[in-house]
Formats: sequence, structure tokens, C-alpha cells
Amino acid sequence: MSQVNQPDAEVILEACNITKRYPGNVALDCVTFLVYRGQVNVLIGENGAGKSTLMRILAGAERADEGTLLLEGRPVALHTPRDAAAMGISIVYQELLALTNLKISENIFAGRELCRAALFVDQATQDQRSNAALRPLRKPMDVSIETGRLSLGCRQVVEIARALDQGSRILILDEPTSALSASEAESLFEVIADLKRAGVTIIYISHRLHELLHLGDRFTVLRSGRVVGEATRADATRAWIVERMSGRKEGAHDTSSTSSPSHSVVLTVSGLTLPASVGDEAAQAPVHDVSFSVREGEILGVYGLLGAGRTELLEALAGLRPIASGVVAVRGQTIRTGSVRDALRAGMVLMPEDRQRDGLFPELSIRENVVMAAKTGLFLSRDEETQRVRKLAAQLHIAAKDVELPVTTLSGGNQQKVLLARCLMCSPSVLLMDEPTRGVDVSAKAEIYGILRELAAKGLSIVFTSSEIEETQALAARALVLCQGRISAEFARDQLSDDGLFAAASPSVAVAASAAPARHAGGTA
Amino acid sequence: MRSETPSQPRANRFGVASARLVLLLLRARAILVLLILLILFSALAPEFLTSNNLSILTKHVAITALLAVGMTFVILTGGIDLSVGSIAGLGGMVAGYLLTQGLSFGGATHFPPVAIVILLTICACLLVGALNGWLVAKAGVAPFIATLGTLYIARGAALLISNGKTFPNLGGAPARGNTGFPAFGQSFLLHVPTPVWMMVALFAVAWVVATKTPFGRHIYAIGGNERAARLAGIRVAQVKLATYVFSAFCAALVGLIIAAQLEAAHPATGESFELNAIAAVVLGGTSLMGGRGSVTGSLIGAFVIGVLADGLVMLGVSEFWQIVIKGVVIVVAVGLDQLQTRLEVRILPYLTTASTKEGQS
Repeated sequence: MSQVNQPDAEVILEACNITKRYPGNVALDCVTFLVYRGQVNVLIGENGAGKSTLMRILAGAERADEGTLLLEGRPVALHTPRDAAAMGISIVYQELLALTNLKISENIFAGRELCRAALFVDQATQDQRSNAALRPLRKPMDVSIETGRLSLGCRQVVEIARALDQGSRILILDEPTSALSASEAESLFEVIADLKRAGVTIIYISHRLHELLHLGDRFTVLRSGRVVGEATRADATRAWIVERMSGRKEGAHDTSSTSSPSHSVVLTVSGLTLPASVGDEAAQAPVHDVSFSVREGEILGVYGLLGAGRTELLEALAGLRPIASGVVAVRGQTIRTGSVRDALRAGMVLMPEDRQRDGLFPELSIRENVVMAAKTGLFLSRDEETQRVRKLAAQLHIAAKDVELPVTTLSGGNQQKVLLARCLMCSPSVLLMDEPTRGVDVSAKAEIYGILRELAAKGLSIVFTSSEIEETQALAARALVLCQGRISAEFARDQLSDDGLFAAASPSVAVAASAAPARHAGGTA
Repeated sequence: MRSETPSQPRANRFGVASARLVLLLLRARAILVLLILLILFSALAPEFLTSNNLSILTKHVAITALLAVGMTFVILTGGIDLSVGSIAGLGGMVAGYLLTQGLSFGGATHFPPVAIVILLTICACLLVGALNGWLVAKAGVAPFIATLGTLYIARGAALLISNGKTFPNLGGAPARGNTGFPAFGQSFLLHVPTPVWMMVALFAVAWVVATKTPFGRHIYAIGGNERAARLAGIRVAQVKLATYVFSAFCAALVGLIIAAQLEAAHPATGESFELNAIAAVVLGGTSLMGGRGSVTGSLIGAFVIGVLADGLVMLGVSEFWQIVIKGVVIVVAVGLDQLQTRLEVRILPYLTTASTKEGQS
């Protein structure tokens, strides 16, 4: 299956029989991964399959216990990322590593500054070369502004520019779209196509099947540290990938939707407007005059592109952000906004988008992470806690050997369920979820959807935001579309079409792809 | 190439077993170091293990331990309190002023009884702690800067109270009805010095708070991830404020104890005490980044510092060398802490082998 059926396909990089062990755990078990020159080489696998480990080895950030790397047929030793860069291999990590306090051009040359007289930074040449590297990436940016002011999509472009300027022939993109909106992802795909035409070899890792099928030339599927499938574009289908990844056939999308919600309205939001955010990482659109209501047991989706105001809306409801005007009422009772505790008392709890940054306590155990928000008396009761956590863990299928282990030992999907369990500990009446399955693999995703439907069937109202059309369609009983901070459309479940959602979310088709990010970049200068 | 390292798996397995042992030793390092020091000094200095010396030793340790216990909570939230030494100095001066100068109001000078003196002193110190907490938690000033500022403010205030002079004769006078203050630092209960009892009591309370109450958990949560703590409905500002106030309370006790022991209050008392306290906390394995550590560790850390200082004196090691040795111990302790963190990262997957198949479940 893996054999070449295109005459021009030539292996540029070969990872041969790579084995990487962590104590008690084999991350990669004799993996052979072939990278074809000038193609998009897709690596797929669930969380924990070993994708990231393999990529770290290729990028010189980690060393294999056994096996060899052959670059154009010659064995190479990559001990540090510097070695890899010197060989023309660069990686753009999922968690972008941009130095947000430095300018764009300083980021592009960080660690390899150009010098004049071997002493002074040659800023002019750096700027010039940065511009040259950014030009083919279709994002005109002022290279002297701070990277912290850029949107995530633009930061990613900066990192790609850094790789290009280093003369990289092989570019590894680790889940590049997990933080991007549809339009930003779209423009990334165009960049990838350009790079491919320019002869750059791409290694592309993602969970998102539709984009993989759209982009990939070669597919390699990893499962539990082994290669379990290889295919060329012609042979790879959605069903094949899912089956290889999970080791079982794809379950039909469970669209046997939510039992029709009752008529009692739980949450009413009217005329919600947020003040323009000051000093926030990305100058994102605040929310303007948003009104909606959610009934008991209803799952309401809020779809929108990056910067549409999704996160801001949920954070305002959860009491994390002050509001400028508007009324929020739970079961008819107007609640004081701008206070997390009041929101919690009213039964509204937020499950944040970025679980590392806003959700988990990495030093604490699974149990402690779950019970953190629970109401308690003066003293803690360990036994009672353990009991409650065990019960929730069973209910949510948290795969944990022991609830006393650090929460960081769990996979992404299970960490997400830990946060869900914490939210449920507050016995909320409205669950606010910002990107409920960000960075979660396909099977865990389906599981989480199932759990949420069950919860809704028991009367919990759920408001979730998503930048993924598929997710909105899979989960929402009704969906709002946010566009630049305003509700631009509302769809009932049976009206949720790709085109409809996307059109409603895009300010105007031409602006969405290029002008909007550029405005982000320069807007606050 | 595959045949290159056939013996590696076995070497790895061996590595894991020994790494676990090393990890265990590292986790218990503070107590191990303490035991080694105790054995070493009692072997080298015969008078080290006498009850008289141990009584003096624990009295010294109590000072550092009291400060360290308060400091632990602050550091667990990711903060630092540089002002404790100055607060102790200020506390001594307030007590000294009240005992020797009294309070003037209504045209006459009143000498409050010792209990009121102690209470007022503690209140004065808590005010400084509240200022620390307000600056850090509400005004958003970096803890290092905020408490550096109050370090100077409290020290300056201590100097201003007496114009830089010492208040002597804190024993009080029967005519003024304020005798008995020295007992705060000099008395014994069941042959154990009172300050040591205070240390034990404070430690017990702090241990219960840290491990058994929601408040304690909130302290760890804030140090681990402040944003997540806020989202979980934890009153971040109030918890932080409380830790600084508690730290100031501990400093007040120290100031009172020292003034009572010396029967005099000197405005320079407590200089660089904050560094000893921080050193004890760090020796005890608490991370300066917050979120990880324990009150017990800090107590042991205080003992390590105290035993080391006391033992070196008995061995006749030069005072200058003592300072160097203390520095080396601190640096090595933090180095070991790094080693422990790194080892834990490597060992943890080993402990969770059963859950590696979670992807399939």
C-alpha cells in the first residue's frame, strides 16, 4: 500500500525503526516513517499515539533510544533543535512559542541574530529579511510591532517565516489549525500549497480529518506507538483513517439528537454589550447587543470565527469580564455580572477553552482538581471527596488508574473530562463550554458529545462555543452565529448547513481571509 | 543500526529502579540532611546533645520556624514576603514603647497591661501585613516590590519610634502594673521554652489549615494556576491577603519573643531574618513558583538551618565560613529540587502504565 505509485515521489527523510521508551511506557515501537520530498506528509493518530514524540525526534528536541534518521539517504544525528535547523528541518509547535514581548523580526531571528561587526544586532537587515520571508506567506505585517499583539494565526505565520528564513526544506506543523478559525485555517492551507509548489516538504499533524483529506498527499497512521496504516491520497478515505486510528469502524454520527427541551427558560441574556478590551493579548472584538435565551435541557451552540467574540461572551456570562450594559437572568432572577462567585451561585459555570492556562492545577491530583470548585464546610473530608470523584469519574469515563495521581498524567481528552467533572461538582443549571473538545482526539470527542447529550437529557442547559462547523452540527440543538461581536444568524438543528454557518460567520467573504488578520496586526499600533 | 544497543532496555529498567530510589531519597532529603547533621555534630561535639544545648537550639530554631511557617503560605500562592524581619523589628519597638513610654491621652500617661501591649503590637504588625496583602492582591503590585517597600517602611517606622535608640528594661514596674512581659520569651512550660510551644502550636494550626481545609487548598490552587483558581470561584484576592496577614502575625510573635528574651527592644532587630525564613522554606522543598510545598518541609528546613548554625559554632568554625556554608547548603538544596522535578517527570509515566491504554477505552 505504501509503495510509490507516483514516479516523482522520492523519500527525503526516513525515520528508520525508531524506538523511544519512557519509563514503563513505549512511546514509539520500531516506527518507520517515510517523508516524501515536496509533498504534504500527514501523520495521524489519537492523543498518546506517539505523533508528537516522533516529531520531537525529527526536530532534534528529543533523541530516539534506537533507530536511525536518514536524510537524503545519509544517516544524520540530531542532538538539538539547532542541529535539525542546520539540516533544514524546522517545527512549528502546537503551542506557539512566539516570544510575545519581542518584535516580529526579533522573533524571526531569535537565537540567531544577524550581527554587524560581530557585536551589534543588525536590525535593518533583520527587518528586510523578515519582510522577505513573510511576503510569500500572504500576510503583510509591520515587522516592528510586538508579537504579543498578533492574533494566533499571525503568530503562526511568523513562526513559519522563521523556518523559511532558516532555509528549511522540511517543515513540521504540529496541529497547526487547532487554535485557528476557519478563515485563518483556510489561509494557512493556501500557504501550505504555496510552500509545496516552492519545493518545501511538509509534515502535517492534525486531528481534523476533513482538512487532512483536503491537504494530504501521503498518510501515515500511528496507534499506540506503532505504524498501523500508510496510504497515498488516492487510497485514503475518511472511514479508512478513522478505522486505522481507533482500531474500529467509525460509529455512525449519533444525531439522535437531544430529547426536545422543556419550555421553561433557564438563561436569558438581553442586550449584552462588553466594553472594548484593553491590554488583552489579542485585540478582539467585544460583544455588541447580544440577546438570547436557553431553555432547560437545551444545547445551544455559538459558532463564530476567531475574534468573533465567542470567548468574551462566555467569560462575561461566567463573571470573568465586566459588562458595559445588558441584563443576564437565570430562571428569571437577574444576576450581578462581573463576579465569578455570583455566577456560580446562580448556577452558571464556565469550562474554559484553554485547559492548561485557565483550567488545570498541574501540581494537584485528579481528585483535588475535580473538587476544587465544590462547596465545602470548614474542613475537607478526603473520603467523601474520593467517593464523589470516583463516582463522577465512572460516570464521565475518566480513564484514571488512581484519582490521587497528578492530573498531568492524563491524556487531553481525560483532562477535559476532569474539568467537566469539576463543573458538574457545582451542580450547575447552565454549563458554559468554550470549545468543548479543543485538542481532544476523535474518540474522546465522540464520548464527550455523548456525555453532554446525556446531561442535557437530564435537564442541564448547555451553551457551547465552537470554531468548528462539524462540532456545531454534531452537538447543537440550536445554533447562534457570532460575527464581529454580534449575532448574525440563528439556526435550528435541521438548518445547520456548512455553507449557511460559514456565510453567517464571515464578515464578508473577501475580508475574512486576509484583511481581517492584517487589521489585527496593525490595528492597535 | 538496530543492533547498536541491544542491552539498552535492561539498562533502562535498571535505571528506572535506581531512579525511583533516588527519587525517594530526594523527596525525604530535608529530613535526611537533618539526621545527618544531628549525627555528625553529636559525634564531633560531645556537648551538642545535652538537654541544655538542645533547649537553646530549639529556641533559636523557633524564631526561624515561626517566620518560615508564615512565609510558606505566601510562597505557596506564588508570592514572597520580604518584610517579615522589619515587621518583627517594628513589633518589638511597639511593645518596647508601650511598656516604657506608655500611652498619653487625657493629659496623663497610661501604661497598658502586658496582655494589651501584646495585643496592640500584634495589631500594628497585622496592619503592615494587610498593607502587603492589599498591595499584592488588590493593587496588583508584584509581591517582591510590594514587600520590599514595606520592608523599608516598617524598618523606618521602627527607627522613628525611638529615634533610633534602644528601649531597655522591658521588665516593667509593679507601680505601673505592667510586669511580666519577659515571660513571653523566657518562661518554660513542662521544661520546654514558651517560644518552642508557640512554634509547635503555630505549626500544628498551619498544618491543619494547609492540608485539611478548603482555605489551604485554595492557597495551593492559586499558586498552581491563578486563572483557573479564579474560574473555580476561589476568592483569589482575599486568600492572598490572608496569607500576608498571617505572615505578619508570625513576624509579630517573633518580634515579641526577641524583645521579651532580651528585655530590650532594638530597632535593628530582625534584619535579614526574612532571608533565613525564605531559606528554610526553600530547603523544605517549597517551590518559589508557588503551588508546591509543605509547612512540614519548612519546619524541617528551619531545623536544618538552626542545627547547622549551632553545630558549626560548637565546632569552632569561623563565623565567616558559617555564612559560606549556609549559602552552599541553600544552593545545593535548590539544585536537588530541580533534580527531583526532572526525575518525577521521567518516573511518572512508569507509575501510570495501567492508564496508558486509556485511548482505547
